[in-house]
Amino acid sequence: MAKWGMVIDLDKCTGCQACTTACAMENNTLPGESWQDVLFYHEGEYPSGQMKWLPRPCMQCEKPSCVYVCPTRATYKDENAGGIVFVDWNKCIGCKYCMIACPYGVRFYADEKPLIEPDMREVYPGQNKQLWSPPYQNPDEDWRRGIGIQPPGVVSKCTFCYHKVSKAPAGTVDFDEDNPAVKEYVPACVRTCAPKARYFGDLDAPDSQVNQLIGDKHGVRLKDHTGNKPQVYYLGAGAGVPAFTPADKGDKS
Amino acid sequence: MNNNSNLLKGGMGVVLLILSAVILVVSLFVALTNLGSQGHASFNTSSTLPWGQPIATYLYFALASSGLGLLASLPLVFGFKQYYPVAKRCVFLAFVILISGMAVLALELGNVFRMLWAIPLNLQVQSAMFWMGVFYALDLLFLLWKFSKLDAGEWDSKTSKQVGIASFIGVLLASGNLALIFGMMSMRPFWFDGLLPIYFYFTGVTSGMAALVFFVYLAHGFSRDRMHPTLQSLLSGALPKMFAALIGGTLLFIAARAITGVYSNNPEIHLVWSDYLFASSLYHLSLWVGLLLPFLLMLNGNFRNQAGVQLLVSVLVFLGLFAERFYFVVGGQVVPLFKGTWYPDMIAYTPSLTEWALTFVGWSLALLLIVLGERFLNLSAMPDGVAESTSARPLAAG
Ligand code: SF4
Ligand code: SF4
Repeated sequence: MAKWGMVIDLDKCTGCQACTTACAMENNTLPGESWQDVLFYHEGEYPSGQMKWLPRPCMQCEKPSCVYVCPTRATYKDENAGGIVFVDWNKCIGCKYCMIACPYGVRFYADEKPLIEPDMREVYPGQNKQLWSPPYQNPDEDWRRGIGIQPPGVVSKCTFCYHKVSKAPAGTVDFDEDNPAVKEYVPACVRTCAPKARYFGDLDAPDSQVNQLIGDKHGVRLKDHTGNKPQVYYLGAGAGVPAFTPADKGDKS
Repeated sequence: MNNNSNLLKGGMGVVLLILSAVILVVSLFVALTNLGSQGHASFNTSSTLPWGQPIATYLYFALASSGLGLLASLPLVFGFKQYYPVAKRCVFLAFVILISGMAVLALELGNVFRMLWAIPLNLQVQSAMFWMGVFYALDLLFLLWKFSKLDAGEWDSKTSKQVGIASFIGVLLASGNLALIFGMMSMRPFWFDGLLPIYFYFTGVTSGMAALVFFVYLAHGFSRDRMHPTLQSLLSGALPKMFAALIGGTLLFIAARAITGVYSNNPEIHLVWSDYLFASSLYHLSLWVGLLLPFLLMLNGNFRNQAGVQLLVSVLVFLGLFAERFYFVVGGQVVPLFKGTWYPDMIAYTPSLTEWALTFVGWSLALLLIVLGERFLNLSAMPDGVAESTSARPLAAG
């Protein structure tokens, strides 16, 4: 069975956020409900101050703390789907414990104050139990896996574009957007990445491109001390996340 | 004998009944209309700070209930006979306060009715929240059962004893597990603490004691003379001493957590104390006026036994611990987790009108049920032997 993994090369990533936009388009997420986001960090001060950034999808952890805390098994890790962690919108009670327990802050409860005005939920009021119903929607909908537009009162998150990935020919290990045979099945963020900083493939296949990159270019997992063991790896300088420092308290060290 | 002395059975009870019913209806109306029209967007919580005041309110009620359950076990399980006069009231208060907390939690959830089948059918035994459902359901059941035994006058029968022990264990499991919902979250270092159950037991009993003292006085029109002599001697003897010790212990716990937190270099703990809790005048108020002042008052042997002081202390502790729960729940989330410069500062949170309405739903529902209980049940009942043995003894008035 495959184990889907993602590799993000921070030496190539320009922080353009095309992935964020592509994800929002693909999955019809609300403003602020950024299943895929790009995080920017400042570190240090003149003359060695740095600006860092990293794209952040759900890490689809091997040991997902969000799954362990969910009282209803609405959040579950599907080993038959490459280890993707899904939210079953038919079961989620909206207790938000998973949002407390995810160290990466990648889960969303879109039933919240709107990020921008006008509120898209008022512009396109929800129909058929959807939280909102924009005119153009991804036709793929699978509430058991948290794919589509969610109903109110549930948690949503990145699905590694399972609705695309699952349609790839059996045995696909490298999802390379430049390969015409598989490009339709590549997750939206990977496919859209202009500098080709993102790779997607099978972590269980020894020869897969993702495995080679992780091995050759020293792939690391973020916040590894949490023990969640992400299936998302980062390459290149800048894969260290500075500790939280309030804006008015610059680093004086 | 002292049935008639319960003021809530008379006109004052009717007034309180109407008052609490009005507050309940109004706050429920505000909460339901806002939730109906805006959903949870009517809360000021967000994906970055998902648990707000309604969760803190639930926590407060659940722990006050557990505290009352533990107080009830003093006479019913451990044989501290002088606490018999409050045992039945403790069990009743524990029951209705828990119900009120659960009502608030139900209105906080995204899909409350789904919970009824989704939790039992999926048996996610790895989740502390699953066990919260199991243990608090058991707790509720045992409280009801124990109350029905006491109401039937069965204080010392074998089943009554067994139900008492079961209830005691149920309370320990429920509130200890509730603590672990927070205490096991290693990704939230402000909460992560294996000894959190002990902290919850202690503070829970303190808030339970505050509720007990207040409602005992309320039932007797704030006058000790109306009370049964056994109850009078408890209120001028063992109980205030224990209340003092509980507040003192609570302060010690908070001090230990604060010192560790401020000392720690980890900004996810340190900053919560230095830049959120200790930067808030409301937190200072809750700490110094809500806990330290009551403790100092209760330290003094003369003050401690005065009815007015006890009443004041119970109200202050009640409010102080409510704030404590709020800052505990929110404090675990104010440092943004993995958000980069999108969140350059701590996450600001003040409860919205709807969230306040939910808090008032909880308080008014509890008050309503308590007054109903005082009117229709004999909550001051105690075993005959206890009532008689002390009633003859002269008592120093408070
Ligand atoms: S990153 Fe968070 S939401 Fe995703 S699997 Fe890990 S713990 Fe769960
Ligand atoms: S909010 Fe939904 S998915 Fe998250 S823990 Fe609760 S029931 Fe599970």
